[in-house]
Amino acid sequence: MKASIRFLLAAGVLLAPFGSALAQTAVNRTLPLSNGGRVELSNVAGSVTVRGWDRNEVQLTGTLGDGQRLDVESSANRVAMKVVYPRNSHSSRGAVLELRVPRAAELQASTVSANLDVAEVDLRRLQASSVSGSVTARGQAGEAELTSVSGDVQSQLRTSRLNTTTVSGEIDARGGSGEVSANSVSGEITLDLGNVQRLSAESVSGDLGVRSSGLQPGGRVNLETVSGSVTLTLPARTSAQLKVKSFSGDIRSDVGQVQRPRHGPGSSLDARIGSGDGDIAIQSHSGDVRVSLGR
Amino acid sequence: MNNHDNNHDEVLAQRLRDLPAERIPPAAVWERISAGLEQTPRSEPIVVASVSPLADAVARRAPRRHWPRHAAAAAVVALVGVASVLLLPRQPTAAVAIEESSLQHQANTITYQYRQAMATIPQENLPVELQPALRELDASAGSIRSAIAQSPDAGFLLGQLQRTYALRLELTRKGLNPAGLST
Repeated sequence: MKASIRFLLAAGVLLAPFGSALAQTAVNRTLPLSNGGRVELSNVAGSVTVRGWDRNEVQLTGTLGDGQRLDVESSANRVAMKVVYPRNSHSSRGAVLELRVPRAAELQASTVSANLDVAEVDLRRLQASSVSGSVTARGQAGEAELTSVSGDVQSQLRTSRLNTTTVSGEIDARGGSGEVSANSVSGEITLDLGNVQRLSAESVSGDLGVRSSGLQPGGRVNLETVSGSVTLTLPARTSAQLKVKSFSGDIRSDVGQVQRPRHGPGSSLDARIGSGDGDIAIQSHSGDVRVSLGR
Repeated sequence: MNNHDNNHDEVLAQRLRDLPAERIPPAAVWERISAGLEQTPRSEPIVVASVSPLADAVARRAPRRHWPRHAAAAAVVALVGVASVLLLPRQPTAAVAIEESSLQHQANTITYQYRQAMATIPQENLPVELQPALRELDASAGSIRSAIAQSPDAGFLLGQLQRTYALRLELTRKGLNPAGLST
């Protein structure tokens, strides 16, 4: 009797992985999409990988976890796919998905804990968001909005309009140009950009490290932190009016004379760089500010 | 100096080191201190030790040559406290006070509106994925309000406060409908 119980227990342990694998469902859906159409994908957990291709089709492959199903709505101009999880599904594995999207499409992908990885795309518009997962984007997009609440956001997108937001995750964006906006609460923001027309970066306690290869004529840069430090690096040929104010932090700058009150904390700087075409404004409450020219 | 004195000095030195380094008086206080210092003749001593028991104790208990840094630190701390108290009644205009109260009043108004909005949203059963960020947002809002209290001229902090509250509200609302988090 004891031997048979042992046998059953051993069999259960050995077969458990196979049971889990059997509970997964393969997904393989291909749907047509007209040029410039919209693709929507939402998934809670697991992972989402997005890649571009040269077909007027959307393809979703991968596996769904136990009890999950895929809801699909499609028309000529729109494909919407959503992984629906069973109630109280915290213990089940998330869906692992790979999405193929055509060129010039508009993509809206969102997750909760799943990491979202978008690459090799050429999109008209990209919206990628997660709650606790990371968001990574590479390739090209006419405009992009990348958001995570507590996950990191990394972008190497070639885009002329980038808007990225986190609460506690870090933002690392390289290659954007034109209009760039980055906001965090406690996450560090690192931007290494091309020529910018409008650049805005704000954090509460996260540090800002911003580098740009140039400010377009009449361009504007606005950087704000409460307690995070700010580092701005621009080329020597920059033409802008620079205004910096820190209420209790220190300012160091390659240009202009930092004004400090005779007594008490704080410092400010008002300087003209080149012919002063654009506007650069930096404000921090207690974070230090460093402005460098000569990239 | 015996061991007892050494220990006592160490305690005093530790207390000096433990003084809150980040408690920066509001900018207006620094301005008044600055103005007061400009008006105070150099020959007129500011009797710091007599109003600072800590500095007084330091001055009495240790040979002067051993305490230049600590005495100076105590003097600065006492000076800021004394000067802010002594110079407050002398402020020439109420402009600074109005400005300070204006920024804080606006911050209080924003906070009141935010709390009113939050009161309409059930806080229970928010997803665990959101909890760390919600805590981060609450702590950050507190930091911003402290910064506003310290620097009544820092108008940009109101924008930071609004942004933080707006994000907190948005996430809380999204969290009410877990399915909405991924849409």
